[in-house]
Amino acid sequence: MSLLLASVGFGLITAAVLAIAAVGFTLQFAVTDVLNLAFAAVMTAGAFTAYLVNQAGYSVWVGLAAAMVACAALSAGLNYLVYAPFQRRGSAPITLVIVSLGMALIVEFGIASVAGGIDVSYQMSQGRTVTIGGMLLSTVQLIIIAISVVVMAAVHALLRYTKLGKAMRATAANRMLARGCGIRASQVIALTWALTGALGGLAGTVFAIDVGSFNASSTDIFLILILAAVFLGGPGNAYGAMLGALVIGLATEVSAAYIEPDYKYVVAFVALLAMLAVRPTGLLGARA
Amino acid sequence: MYYLIILLVYAAVDAIACLGLSQQFGVAGVTNFGFIIFQAAGAYVAAVLALPPDTADGGFQTYIGGLSLPFPLPWIGAAVAGGVLALPFTFLVGRRLRGDFAAVGLLVTAVLLNLLVMNYRPLFNGDAGLALVPTPLRQTMFVTTSNAYQYGYAAAGLVLAAAVYVFVRRITESPYGRTLRAMRDNDKVADSLGKNLVALRTGALVTGGAIAGLSGAVLVSFIGVWSPAEWSYAETIVLFTAVIIGGAGNHAGAVLGAVLVPVGFEEVTRFISNNNPNLPPNLLPSLQWVAIGLLITVFLWLRPQGLLPERRRMIRAPARSPAAQAPPEPPAEPAVESAPAPAARAPVPAPVTEPILRTSGVSKAFGGVHAVAGVTIAVGRGTLTGLIGPNGAGKSTLLSLLAGTAKASAGQVIYQGQDVTAVPAYRRARAGLVRTFQLASEFKRLTVLENLLSAVPSHRGDTFAGAVAGRRYWRGAEDLAIGRATELIERFGLARHANDYAGDLSGGQRRLVEIMRALMTEPSMLLLDEPMAGVHPELARRIGAALVGLCQDGMTILMVEHELSIMDEFCEPVIVMADGAVLAEGTMAELRDRTEVVEAYLVG
Repeated sequence: MSLLLASVGFGLITAAVLAIAAVGFTLQFAVTDVLNLAFAAVMTAGAFTAYLVNQAGYSVWVGLAAAMVACAALSAGLNYLVYAPFQRRGSAPITLVIVSLGMALIVEFGIASVAGGIDVSYQMSQGRTVTIGGMLLSTVQLIIIAISVVVMAAVHALLRYTKLGKAMRATAANRMLARGCGIRASQVIALTWALTGALGGLAGTVFAIDVGSFNASSTDIFLILILAAVFLGGPGNAYGAMLGALVIGLATEVSAAYIEPDYKYVVAFVALLAMLAVRPTGLLGARA
Repeated sequence: MYYLIILLVYAAVDAIACLGLSQQFGVAGVTNFGFIIFQAAGAYVAAVLALPPDTADGGFQTYIGGLSLPFPLPWIGAAVAGGVLALPFTFLVGRRLRGDFAAVGLLVTAVLLNLLVMNYRPLFNGDAGLALVPTPLRQTMFVTTSNAYQYGYAAAGLVLAAAVYVFVRRITESPYGRTLRAMRDNDKVADSLGKNLVALRTGALVTGGAIAGLSGAVLVSFIGVWSPAEWSYAETIVLFTAVIIGGAGNHAGAVLGAVLVPVGFEEVTRFISNNNPNLPPNLLPSLQWVAIGLLITVFLWLRPQGLLPERRRMIRAPARSPAAQAPPEPPAEPAVESAPAPAARAPVPAPVTEPILRTSGVSKAFGGVHAVAGVTIAVGRGTLTGLIGPNGAGKSTLLSLLAGTAKASAGQVIYQGQDVTAVPAYRRARAGLVRTFQLASEFKRLTVLENLLSAVPSHRGDTFAGAVAGRRYWRGAEDLAIGRATELIERFGLARHANDYAGDLSGGQRRLVEIMRALMTEPSMLLLDEPMAGVHPELARRIGAALVGLCQDGMTILMVEHELSIMDEFCEPVIVMADGAVLAEGTMAELRDRTEVVEAYLVG
């Protein structure tokens, strides 16, 4: 099996996980206008929720559902208790970014103080290994890719065909105007926090499944990949985030096959800085 | 005893770092989430400049340099390195990028550089870092006991911190510092007043970076090791917490924050862990981070200005302007008594000369919407030209294209006979083409007087070098500017509020501040965007009369306004826009006779 194909396989899985997180992050930003750096910490909370459920003797897939519910609540709670009050007061976007960093610390190290610094893993079987087009993938990895594809389709359907999705897009485009048109923006925003929180929980759990063992700080670097994917596609643009995730996922893993694996993140980093410098609105974005 | 010394050195290091961050974040409004890498870089450079070549000591560690330079050269090198390292990031903080996007870029940079250094052994010795960094002057000073040397080091650190404090204060309290604060409050407006945002932000990044580098040098020379794990991005958050708690924009607050947060936290943690030896090893450090997160959030909510808020700069007018000391303002008759009734206004000579400003086919499209579609106008010298049109006609967008705050998608803007279509806003402003904004655009945390002073063009003290040169260098220019500003403020009847924060004024007063500020630039041409919107009719007429007076003195004004009675009374000619194009032009009387104009706009 060629090195290239193998790394493409890894890239697809990374991209699948990344796409879920990046779409969640970018929708959150578009609708709520908070560049929420606590997103990765919410993912960690999801991964540990699934771990607790798994430890209680249930399948990790039950844990995944629990993680989505828990993170929807956590995310909506963060908005209700912290972000929304700051926004109501008219705080600058940069203040909210700093606050979100504070939230990231509280959630991440709150988990660490309970869980300790040790790595944990789920009790689960990786399933049969299958070869597809020269790529060697486990059943679990295929399930992750399938979940990601389903989520992308669901997000597309949500934005395109549902009332909530249209209200989200309207709120993202112009919150005041949306209010004027009879959209209850605060409700749409609260729902968006819950929904994107659920995506964060889902992403956190499949991330943990994918990496095998994890601790409270495992998603720190993953946040960088999320940011790279989001900014590559254009902040606030869901389809851009999908494209960005695919590019970043493949680029990091394929490059890892040829250069030192430790430097694979540099690709994401260069992509992110280049986009910020040359085209801050991203590949698909028009709106700054 | 030794512990106290360590504490003092750490306090000095953190105070220096917080001063650098306070300068960037609190004064200039540049949120540098990568601050810690500048400290790390300074520390590394200080270390390798002081270390012997890496073949010494059996070559157990690899590094670049190894020049065995004597003290103070490594420290100077550290400051230079911190400043130079800032240059590649200039593009992130330029004109176009949102502040929070730039912050994310810097954060990501910090995380990845740390990751790279930890993993790339050949360049920086990987996560092993550096050890045996020489302590300055250890061999040459005739210090017999270790304690005396340590005390001396701590004292030197504190003196250095004090020197940095004096330095950043000197900058902040200068006209240059005022410009930085203006940019922090509203960068778009500072741009339109002729401030070069890229240069200002670069200056802030470089100054803060150099100070951070210096703080790294003080630290690494004391502890003798450089370990990349110590410079994680989270350390930046600690420093931010310190500056926010102490009071962003107040340098004394930065020092207080440095003592309270980084130093205080170490102390508390040590105290708790000493008294509870059975705690899980990971618990306290984790809770420490939770506490930092809580502190930052709670402070931003309850006391966003910090423990020591930024001071309000009270400026007394120079002695030779006695009127400024008499606060009670005449309630009526403020603006210009010399302004004659509009009917008696001397007829403006027909602009036989080249118009001061003209456009040919200038356009602006937002997505598919043509906000301005092929507008060709000419504004004659010395006229008070009105620009009217229904909502969405493209008036404000046209104004932005003329001022350069928005880029034209097609067409040309000719100002004073020169094509300025590609010239950025701040350079058009310096050439005398200055705009005001439709939305309130005062610098909120500058006083009225400071708002006006911030607009003074080519002020001696409004450069980095001028600021460093000190008060004596720029006091003359400043006094002159204060005199001019005071005069204007009196003319517009705001003397009572000269030292109030502009953000605390009423809507109408803020419009006045904005117009006065634009006048301080001594423009040849003013572009006013609804200067009378939301202003009491009485005050609006006073403003109108003042504007007429200005035009008689040779200024040209192009004014967007909805109130037709204002147009009737003051403006001639008047340009009518609709759907992004010019519909008609002429005196108001002429326009009223034209059916298409009446249909588009003048109905009723």
